[in-house]
Amino acid sequence: MTEALSRERRCALLARADRDELIASADACLADGAQVRILVAPEVGCITAQVREPVLAQRFVAGDVLACRAEVELAGHRGWAMRLGDDRAAVLAAAVLDAEVQAERPGAEEVDALCRRVALRLERRDAEEWAELAPTVVEFEELT
Amino acid sequence: MGYSGARGGLEAILAAEDLVRTKRDHAPSPWASAGQITGRFRLAVDRVMGEAGLYDESTAAAAFRQAEGDTLEASHLMRAQRSTLPRLAVSEPVDPSDMVVMRRIVPAFRQPDGPQLLGRTTDYTGRMLEQPDGQPPAPERGEGKQAPERTEDERRPRRFLDLLRKLDLVADQRSGDDPEPYDITRRPARPPAERSAVLAAMARAETGALVGLWYRSILGPDGHVHEVTLGELRHGRLPLSVRHPHTGNAVSVGEFRATEAEAIEDLDGADEDRARFDVGYGFCFGHNERKAIAMANLDIANRRFGRSGPLEQLLLLTVDGLDSGGFLEHLKLPHYVTFRSMVERKRAMRAAAGSGEEPGAAARPAELAESAEPGESAESAESAELAESAVSAGPAESAVPVEPAELAESAVSAGPAESAVPVEPAELAESAVSAGPAESAVPVEPAEPAVSAEPAGKDPR
Repeated sequence: MTEALSRERRCALLARADRDELIASADACLADGAQVRILVAPEVGCITAQVREPVLAQRFVAGDVLACRAEVELAGHRGWAMRLGDDRAAVLAAAVLDAEVQAERPGAEEVDALCRRVALRLERRDAEEWAELAPTVVEFEELT
Repeated sequence: MGYSGARGGLEAILAAEDLVRTKRDHAPSPWASAGQITGRFRLAVDRVMGEAGLYDESTAAAAFRQAEGDTLEASHLMRAQRSTLPRLAVSEPVDPSDMVVMRRIVPAFRQPDGPQLLGRTTDYTGRMLEQPDGQPPAPERGEGKQAPERTEDERRPRRFLDLLRKLDLVADQRSGDDPEPYDITRRPARPPAERSAVLAAMARAETGALVGLWYRSILGPDGHVHEVTLGELRHGRLPLSVRHPHTGNAVSVGEFRATEAEAIEDLDGADEDRARFDVGYGFCFGHNERKAIAMANLDIANRRFGRSGPLEQLLLLTVDGLDSGGFLEHLKLPHYVTFRSMVERKRAMRAAAGSGEEPGAAARPAELAESAEPGESAESAESAELAESAVSAGPAESAVPVEPAELAESAVSAGPAESAVPVEPAELAESAVSAGPAESAVPVEPAEPAVSAEPAGKDPR
């Protein structure tokens, strides 16, 4: 039995999904004619990145990261999404998928399945990256 | 009399812009897509993101292409773009220890916790120029060759600072307070400033300026950096989280790459703990090791000597590329009035000397006209007016017609005008303190950054 995703985990994985799979999945969810109300239109802006440095354990602002967000209402439930970058269509689709799960509509299971595919893909990417990096691990010898 | 500047030249300006656009966009070579630029010029893209203070690879690639490879100009474009965007959120505090490392070296210690991971580097490669005719053939990869599963210690190794703390070799500077970080994009930071303002200024500093200041601190007259031992250097991916508006919990919205450095400094001051080291910290967007290392050394130098010398002021006021580059570049704009008023002052002094007055006595504008040579009275009278106007004028002379409303705002953000009046050193210092940053603290309209003729840098005169 697969573990249920928390809302935060689902949002995080939808934020990493490809735009095409998000849009296709959102279209499938809305194919039954359900009406979506857009509460916050897809908006591109910045997330101010504050970093807590380790020496004095104080925060400072490292800069801004480009991001976009959207919020919708579907079947009386609100869906929210935020992603890095400026893809408005993708973030709107992600918000629809979040609302689909909140409303426990028929497409909810498929949304979580999509999230699990994204998680697997990220794990695979990490493994491939490590396969490239691991040969560069070094132990220099000291000359005494 | 109010502002007086140059005008006209619009057709020539448009023709010059068109020449840039045509030569750049229709060069006899294939179009460089954003993907090509991020894939092949990643370090330039990372530098642009870091110096712009805005992380987005595609945007940086577009800026780099538009700027024809000029990283500072690309950063300028990025900042102008950023000034049009709303702030959607402030992130949860990023813990750099969460970084999944793609490169991690500990030059100070051979066997730290976790691996010495060289990653993607040319640090040990001879600088032999390669000039292939085309794309080299792809290297052969071993089929099915897989690395053993990565351990947590290999993904997020414990930082060297933790080992130093464990060995009781580092002075613990943590006070437990958590001041709100200073946002230099909203308010200009001036000395004395909080440390968070200095760190933020260095994080988006122009790389060359920061390295130059770092080197000056080692070899120059200041001597702010004594030890140049690098504790640790990392490049990797960090999660960015915000507060979910419905649940109130932190939610990750993606990852960004960053470089961080820890620099070890020997403590040798009379009131310092000489039995221990201290550590400086550097952090910037993307992969930019020179900048992070310089920042780490300068962080500890600033904590030790920032207030007793000029270092804090230098870090806050001179390392921003848009400030310094903008001021330098504006010198190319017409300065006819400025120079004419300078000439008039010379003539006035000469005339005063000839009439027996004290040569150094300052002449009032009205006197300039009277003291002018025969046959030049009309021009001198005009110059006198110009000299007077320069005193009250706001922004620098601009070749581009500027609307009055923009003038007022420019005067606020650009700082003192180009003055035809000699300025005393004390006034210089005051001007520097009161001048606004190149990037206005006031949210600007989207159209404003397009007025590229307005100098980004402040005029410290």
